[in-house]
Amino acid sequence: MFLQQLINGLTLGSVYAIIALGYTMVYGILELINFAHGEIYMLGAYLVIIFLGIFTAMGLTSANFTLALILSIILTVVFCSAYGFTVEKVAYKPLRNAPRLSPLISAIGVSIFLQNFIMLTQGATDRGFPYRFGEGHLYFLNVDITYLQAMIIIVSGFLMFSLRIFIWKTRIGKAMRATSQDKTMAALVGINVNSIISVTFIIGAGLAAVAGVMVAAYYGLINYFIGYIAGIKAFTAAVLGGIGSIRGAMVGGIILGLVEGLGAAYISSEYKDAFAFIILIIILLIKPSGIYGREIDEKV
Amino acid sequence: MLKLTSINTSYGHIRALKGISIEVNKGEIVCLLGSNGAGKTTALMTVSGILKPDSGDIYFERESIKGLAPHLIVKKGICQVPEGRRIFPKFTVLENLETGAFVSAVQNFNKNLERVFSLFPILKERKNQTAGTLSGGEQQMLAIGRALMSNPRLLLLDEPSLGLAPILAGKIFKTIAEINNEGITILLVEQNANAALKLSHRGYVLENGSIKLHGSGEELLHNEDLKKAYLGI
Repeated sequence: MFLQQLINGLTLGSVYAIIALGYTMVYGILELINFAHGEIYMLGAYLVIIFLGIFTAMGLTSANFTLALILSIILTVVFCSAYGFTVEKVAYKPLRNAPRLSPLISAIGVSIFLQNFIMLTQGATDRGFPYRFGEGHLYFLNVDITYLQAMIIIVSGFLMFSLRIFIWKTRIGKAMRATSQDKTMAALVGINVNSIISVTFIIGAGLAAVAGVMVAAYYGLINYFIGYIAGIKAFTAAVLGGIGSIRGAMVGGIILGLVEGLGAAYISSEYKDAFAFIILIIILLIKPSGIYGREIDEKV
Repeated sequence: MLKLTSINTSYGHIRALKGISIEVNKGEIVCLLGSNGAGKTTALMTVSGILKPDSGDIYFERESIKGLAPHLIVKKGICQVPEGRRIFPKFTVLENLETGAFVSAVQNFNKNLERVFSLFPILKERKNQTAGTLSGGEQQMLAIGRALMSNPRLLLLDEPSLGLAPILAGKIFKTIAEINNEGITILLVEQNANAALKLSHRGYVLENGSIKLHGSGEELLHNEDLKKAYLGI
């Protein structure tokens, strides 16, 4: 029972972690809480269903389901990344030098826009994921893991690992880390700060899209409102880990998922969504900077 | 080499630079003097493209660089060491130097690194130390070293002696002369007018966003008004 809930929590947590990465990366560079980020996850869930529908109409799904699924996921990620890129250019870039509240309001506006756009075009009722896959089970130490759960955990782990490599080992990653420390100085050493900001939004949106796809498949049911709650939970995960910290977002997401999974099992499943907010309140009271949000002493 | 013509730059409604014209010739050290708020930092930030001038033009080697993005200006060969050094505190010394090399060709990296280490041997000793833990003087050396990694032809230095003990400030000024001897042109902003003028070929005095005086280092050093206002003699 305990191990089983641990696995369920880990599955959920890895999804939160992936969404939280987008929050924390954008915050690290722009000091902006991108409240429109959760909606990208929702968009990802819808798009994958739409693309799968298109491939079904073309006959590809029945011919080769895996190929259709992979193509749908790739297209979804590309679309969501393009969306994230565009939102930054349209809604945030013009406000780069505005007071800090303005981009935040702009973000909320973008979020309301996308929710309503999806509601109008896709309907306000729940949509089911049209295909079941990964339904086989693994039994391990009396724990029942579906293939889909295993896939979610493995894909998330792989994405987090790749992101870490990208940020710590590549030139663009180093430019991102420099930009997050001092944007003006990054520009003065010759870093194209606007491109770095775009890359950040593209990566964040791509990750959220993957999370959306995984959740659509996992729960099998989506609606236009799922981005809101997931967004707030991922935001909590990012704050828990220390906002701006990549490692923090990963750890925060996993912890949040585990708390939800175990809380739902041992306390009350009705309060499942409340655990995230209880955690948020506790961190804000005890350690507002989060687990890894330590400030380094700077000499001036 | 660098020519600013009637540059006006504002922060919102406040005009910080009121039609200044400055020229820096190849191989020179030119200093820009003035009290707090005179517009010295604004002038450098305008050259670097961080601030956009309302009017006027900026030429670098006869080519207008006005309105270019900051990273493209660095690519052209103008690098700035801003006020307060602004090293990347979470990076190690070596990583800071690597960020400086973003725009220069990869094959020059080791050569540039050797040059920086020979100018500032302490940086070699501390290359794996987190830059935020360096002393003020070491941070200033790192900031200058980082700028040199981009292989600049024109180096903009904003108050390099600020907050340093006199002996360290003297060392920094000596290094600036050394860098200039290697053929790098320098535009220096300083509050320490005495030391700056001794080092410079020419100087400009800014007051409330306008050029008030202009002359050779020697001339300005003996200018009575300047002595009273800035040198405290």
